[in-house]
Amino acid sequence: MLKKIECYLQPIKLEEIKEALAKGGVRGMTVYECRGFGRSRGYTEEETPTAQTKFRPKVKIEIVADEAEVDGIITIIKKLARTGRIGDGKIFVLPVEDALRIRTDEVGIRAIR
Amino acid sequence: MNQGKPGEVTRGNCKEKIKESVWDKALKQLEDTARRINIEPGALEILKVPRRCLVVSVPIRRDDGQIEVFTGYRVQHNFTRGPAKGGIRYHPDVTLDLVKALAMWMTWKCAVVNIPYGGAKGAVACNPKKLSPSELERLTRRYTSAILPIIGPEKDIPAPDMGTNAQVMAWIMDTYSINQGYSVPAVVTGKPIEVGGSLGRDKATARGCLYTVMDAAKKLDFTLEERTMAVQGYGNVGRNMAELSTGQGCRIIGVSDINGGLYNPKGIDITRLSRYVDEAGTVFGFTDADSITNAELLELECDILVPAAVEHQITEKNAPRLKARMIAEGANGPTTSEADEILDDKGIFVIPDILANAGGVTVSYFEWVQGIQAYFWSEREVNLRLREVMERAFEDVYRLSQKEKVSMRQAANMLAVSRVAEACRLRGLYP
Repeated sequence: MLKKIECYLQPIKLEEIKEALAKGGVRGMTVYECRGFGRSRGYTEEETPTAQTKFRPKVKIEIVADEAEVDGIITIIKKLARTGRIGDGKIFVLPVEDALRIRTDEVGIRAIR
Repeated sequence: MNQGKPGEVTRGNCKEKIKESVWDKALKQLEDTARRINIEPGALEILKVPRRCLVVSVPIRRDDGQIEVFTGYRVQHNFTRGPAKGGIRYHPDVTLDLVKALAMWMTWKCAVVNIPYGGAKGAVACNPKKLSPSELERLTRRYTSAILPIIGPEKDIPAPDMGTNAQVMAWIMDTYSINQGYSVPAVVTGKPIEVGGSLGRDKATARGCLYTVMDAAKKLDFTLEERTMAVQGYGNVGRNMAELSTGQGCRIIGVSDINGGLYNPKGIDITRLSRYVDEAGTVFGFTDADSITNAELLELECDILVPAAVEHQITEKNAPRLKARMIAEGANGPTTSEADEILDDKGIFVIPDILANAGGVTVSYFEWVQGIQAYFWSEREVNLRLREVMERAFEDVYRLSQKEKVSMRQAANMLAVSRVAEACRLRGLYP
C-alpha cells in the first residue's frame, strides 16, 4: 500500500531533514513554503497571546512511499524536527490509491521506485 | 471447594482460599458496579453466573509410558454480545473458581473495548515446564477434543494465556480442523503467522497497554520522555512493555520475574536484558543492576508501575507503601479490592486491567476477522486499528470517570456491565 506523508516543519530544519531522508533512501519529495498556525494560535512560548491569531512561516514536505518505509521516514523526521518547543510541527500519513510515472507509464509502487 | 473436579486432585487449603477469593472479588466487583448503574435485578442475576462451565478429565500418556490424568476447564461466562472469547491457561494452581472469575473479566474486557464478544476462559491444571513438547502436544490435543463440542469460530474462540503460546494454539487449530474435516483457522487466535495468525498479535497486549499509558500521561499532563517505569513480570506483556516503552523514551528502572527482580535507578539496558533472558530464561543474574525482590519492585519510587505477572500482587499490605504515580495493570486482577481503595485515597491513577491489557483480545479479534475473511492485513494496519480501539476505550472510560466522579476501574466496570446489560435487555429472555 502506498502512503503519503505530509509534514509541516520549522523552515530552519529543512536542510538537515532533506539530507537525512535522501541518505535514508527516500526517492523523492516536494517542498512548499507556507504559513499556518496550530494549537497555540501562532504564538511562541516567549510571546504573550492576544486575541488575534497569527500565521507563522512553515515548510511543508510531501513524500509518497511504500507502507513498509513509512515508520522509518517518520522516525528520521521526528528526530531531527523536534526541539521540544511550541511550533515543531505535525506529521500526517494519508492513504494513496494509486501512482503513475508519466514518462514510462509505470504504476503502483514501481512509479515511485 | 473442589466442586466438579474429577479425579483425586487436592491441594493446600491456603492456596485454594486465595484463588476462591478471586471469584469472590469478581462477584463483589459486579455487585458494586450494579449498584452504581441502573441495571435490572434480573439481568444482574444472569450476569452473576457463567452460562456454561465444562470440567473435563484429560488423560495423556507420558513419555515414560505412564498414564496421567489432568483436569481441564472451559468456562463461558456470557454470549450476549457475540461468541465467547478468552485464553487457555496451563498452570498448576488453577481451579474452577479462578477460571470462572477470569471468564467473567473477559466479558467485561470485551465490552469495555467494545468488540463483539462475550467472555470465556479455559485452563488445564498442570505445570507445562515439567512436560516435554510431545507431552504438551498430546495434552493440548486431548483437552481440545474434550472441549470441542462447545468451541468454534461462531461459539467460543480460545487464545493463549499463561503457560500457552502460539504453538499450543496451532495444535488446537489442527485438532479442531481435523475433526471438522477442513481447516478452520478462526477457531483460535494467537496462532503462528504461518497458519493464519495476525501480524502484531505477539506484542498486542503490551502495545495496547502502552497506548493507555500514553493516553493517561496526556490527561495527567506529562510526557513519557525520561519517565521512570517499573515492570513486574518479564513474559509476553512485561517484556514487550519494557521494550516498547524504552522506544518512547521511558527509563525502565526495575523489572522482575518469578525468580526475583532487578533495580537500576539509571535505567536498565532493556536490549541487553532481553538478550540475556533469551539465553538464561530469567532476568535473575543479569549484571549491571542490583537484585531486589518482587515485593520491593512494587514499592519502587517510579512514575509508572506495570504489574504484568499474576493476580493478587498489590494488596492492602503493600498498597500504602506504593510510590508510583500511575499504575497500568498489564496482568489480570493484580490489585485486590482492599488495595484498590487505598490506591484511590492516595490519588494514584490506576488504568484497570480490563482496559490496560485489552490490546491482546483486540488483536485476537482482528485475527479472527482476518481468518474469517481469509484476507490479511499489514502490521501497520493492525497497530493503527489497535490504537484506534484503545484510544476510544480509554476516552470512554475516562469521560465516565470524570462525569460520575469515580475511579477509572469503577468507570471501566460501569461501562462494561452497562453495555452487556443493555445488550441483554435488547435481546430479551428466551422463551
